[in-house]
Amino acid sequence: MNRKVWLILGVTIVVAFTAAILLSDPAHAGKLEEAIAKTPKGTGVGMIDPQATPGFMGIPGAPHSFLLWYILWGIWVGWIFSSVGAFGGIMAGVGHITVFGLADYGKSFKDTNPTLNKLLTDSIRVCNQYLVGLSALISSITYWRMGRLVMPLALCLAGGGVLGAYLIPVLTAGKINLSSYIGYFGLVVFAVAGVLFYETTPAGQASRKRAKAAAKAFEDANIHKSKGGASSGNEGVQVKSWGFSKIVFTFYGIEFSFNPVWPVVGGFVIAAISAFIGVGGGFLYVPFLTSVVRLPMFIVAGTSALAVLVSMITSIFTYMFVKSVPIDFALVGSELIGIFVGSILGPATSKYIPEVWLKRLFVVLALYVGIGYTTKGFLGYSVFPGM
Amino acid sequence: MNQVFLSADSFIISFYRLTGYALIDFFVGTFVLAFISVVIGELTISVAFLLTRKSVEHMQDQMVSYQNLSIDALAAKDKESYSAANKLANDAFGRTFFMQIGLSAARIWPTFFAVAWMNTRFSDVDFPIPLTGWTIGFIPIFIALYVGAYFVFKPVRNRIPYFKKVNKILDHYKEKNRSMKSFADLAQKTKKL
Repeated sequence: MNRKVWLILGVTIVVAFTAAILLSDPAHAGKLEEAIAKTPKGTGVGMIDPQATPGFMGIPGAPHSFLLWYILWGIWVGWIFSSVGAFGGIMAGVGHITVFGLADYGKSFKDTNPTLNKLLTDSIRVCNQYLVGLSALISSITYWRMGRLVMPLALCLAGGGVLGAYLIPVLTAGKINLSSYIGYFGLVVFAVAGVLFYETTPAGQASRKRAKAAAKAFEDANIHKSKGGASSGNEGVQVKSWGFSKIVFTFYGIEFSFNPVWPVVGGFVIAAISAFIGVGGGFLYVPFLTSVVRLPMFIVAGTSALAVLVSMITSIFTYMFVKSVPIDFALVGSELIGIFVGSILGPATSKYIPEVWLKRLFVVLALYVGIGYTTKGFLGYSVFPGM
Repeated sequence: MNQVFLSADSFIISFYRLTGYALIDFFVGTFVLAFISVVIGELTISVAFLLTRKSVEHMQDQMVSYQNLSIDALAAKDKESYSAANKLANDAFGRTFFMQIGLSAARIWPTFFAVAWMNTRFSDVDFPIPLTGWTIGFIPIFIALYVGAYFVFKPVRNRIPYFKKVNKILDHYKEKNRSMKSFADLAQKTKKL
């Protein structure tokens, strides 16, 4: 199984690399320099002062923060990753858009140089993806080693994912202005807020309690019995039937099935959203696979990790090599320092705060950010301050 | 940020002037830079791991115990208990997953500074791909050499006492992971029967 996984992964990466390199256009080289050169020179709004101190991506006069500030924001993101989960990726985006002032700076070029405006949008998207996606790469390897993948499903997801993650950068890079991007980012934050909110409701809490009770009851009932008592079965792991509309398989006589079309469509849609917004997509894959495809939950985790990885590699390579989107590597590196420090602090501090209250806090924060960004993006102003 | 690069520049660029042949110097210098990135990354991930060891162990224990319970439930053909235990195993997995995402940043952060520095020196350098007419920039070359540097450092790492200690702990985890039952165990069990 592991050899197969590595083989398929290797082939996928090679295909993504080759496609990216073959499709890359040398004419895009120096895209940022060209955009800067075409921007009116001066100290006014929407102008670039060549004498100013270089900031984001080395652009003279662009926002630049003290190195420690990036690290501190990274600590906040890392702390969220290790104590709440998916919301860390969103917070990474909030840092780039609002805290570091990149959105307002990019918007200042809306009339004077729309190309630079859109290039900054793309760069923010790729910076977000780097922060979440590259870290996911390393953790994904761990799950493959644990052998928790359903290969037919992973292939369906990866197939759709590669397409989505390739098409979105190709179709949208250089075309999305910052206002639209912020608006859509706000909508995705709403979706995350919804998931977090459900987990804090009595229904969400009850579901976990029920699961605990059922697991405990089974454990108690079987504690004195020998494990693996299905002596009459001869099924093991078997694929019962293959088809374009349904794949049926059994684990020790218990039947599971999925429609192979859904993982392809789901993989495509989720990878497309992830590439568009600039997130990893793990927070969408897991509920999709458990609720829509209805797969055994423990398998979902490893499978979704592979799907995130494949679509993330495709997306980043397409942005960087096919569309030549520049990124600020030093900024991402500084934030990564903070992220791992925050991840160390998370477990140490979160034991003092009940998980449910932590999630409620982030629901409020997500609503604030979601409403703020959606109104700012689509109405032109934020109804909340600080956005 | 520029100040940081200026102070590191004279040190790093010295590795790019070892032979006097531009192309060879580029590859040697980039390999040394990649190697330094690998070493710093391995050091920081090991420190991060040692500091979070207790939490990681706790999460892993939870994950393994619920996973095993779910497999036992499956073997007993109790779908309801299986789903319940699987849900809890998945919750435990989710917490581990996001924590590992955060911690893995400790391994890759130096590469971004390395690439950022290379960008100040080699952003205009393109290498032709033979027989294609296409060119690539310095990033793919850095990535390839980084992978190479990782495999060069791997055997060296296993001889350094500090990393030996960390590896011992990791081996213990691998043993624990082996105690986690998988669906393949069910299949094997069935075959034996």
